[in-house]
Amino acid sequence: MSDGGSPADPKVPEVHLGVPATPEFVRLARVTATGLASRAGFSIDEVEDLRLAIDELCFTLIGAKGRPGQLALRYRLDGSALEVVGAVNGTEGVVPHLSEWSDKILDALVDEHEMGPSQGDDDTHRFRMLKRAG
Amino acid sequence: MAVDPERRAELREQFEEFASTRAPEVRASLIEAHMGLAEYLARRFGNRGEPLDDLIQVASIGLVKAVDRFDPERAVEFSTYATHTIVGELKRHFRDKGWAVRAPRRMQELYLRIGKIVSTASQELGRSPTVAEIAKEAEVTEEEVLEALEAGQAYRFSSLDAPGGSNDDDEGDGVIAQLGEEEPGLADAERRATMDPLLATLPEREQMILRLRFYEDLTQSEIAERLGISQMHVSRLLSRSLAKLRNQAADET
Repeated sequence: MSDGGSPADPKVPEVHLGVPATPEFVRLARVTATGLASRAGFSIDEVEDLRLAIDELCFTLIGAKGRPGQLALRYRLDGSALEVVGAVNGTEGVVPHLSEWSDKILDALVDEHEMGPSQGDDDTHRFRMLKRAG
Repeated sequence: MAVDPERRAELREQFEEFASTRAPEVRASLIEAHMGLAEYLARRFGNRGEPLDDLIQVASIGLVKAVDRFDPERAVEFSTYATHTIVGELKRHFRDKGWAVRAPRRMQELYLRIGKIVSTASQELGRSPTVAEIAKEAEVTEEEVLEALEAGQAYRFSSLDAPGGSNDDDEGDGVIAQLGEEEPGLADAERRATMDPLLATLPEREQMILRLRFYEDLTQSEIAERLGISQMHVSRLLSRSLAKLRNQAADET
């Protein structure tokens, strides 16, 4: 999981969003994703799948009831592909992981997905997903 | 709540008495006298998946607060004041449950219009329309379309529901139940065994939609067509089922 960190390229817009890691803010994570997806020409089916995927990934990361701290999101729109990376700090023993079922549904909803500890930082957990239009 | 003038004057006296004495029996009598209002308001929040008894309970808490805080010196009717407090209490209840409160009417209407546009456009185009195409047809911005979709996910609209206007739990029930008997996947023991046991706790039709989407790999539009319901209804049910599964999984750990 390499973190882009690429210089600003107007052709590949990047959006960064930090929200409290609680359920009521997952909406913002969703809205930002669908806003970008709509720019990329996603169909309504794809947009709805994206919403489900963001919910599944965010809630797995922060837990159903949320957690202290922030959820940091990074969106990257490359042509018709939307990449979303979400990260939380300080998991304090509760390590977020995708259940077999979550894995299965994400397989159907998005083109790529993964979740795990950040490279070189066991205290940060993150997900990454990629969905292409069409 | 129409109250005759004589009764109103009587209640007014009680409020004044309560304001100065704080006597528990007067308080009880005032609460009793306005229970009808609490019930009436609780019913207006019904049909959102919460038992009416619970809602009446919540509304009663609001009523008690209103009685305790009402100042008869102020130029406002108690019923107006109490309605405000009770509705506030009910809304907080839904918010605490993580369920969205009724979306603005304009958004509901747009949501319903989008539902119709999606079905028509899908047939005409032979594919699922893009957000931009829907926005153009609905003569609104793409942001408004997305906002309406969000509003549509509000746990459930109470009266205005999916295009066709029927209740969330009823729409397409018959159709899906019928299809369910013919669905080969349903009797497929092997597939069943691989499914998360939590799935079995969902209503049959929600299980079926999950199966069609995630095991048969049909798109939301294809499921909608197959079951004779709207794509947006499929989307709403999927979103709801997945949220339920997540919450159940969370409760178990």
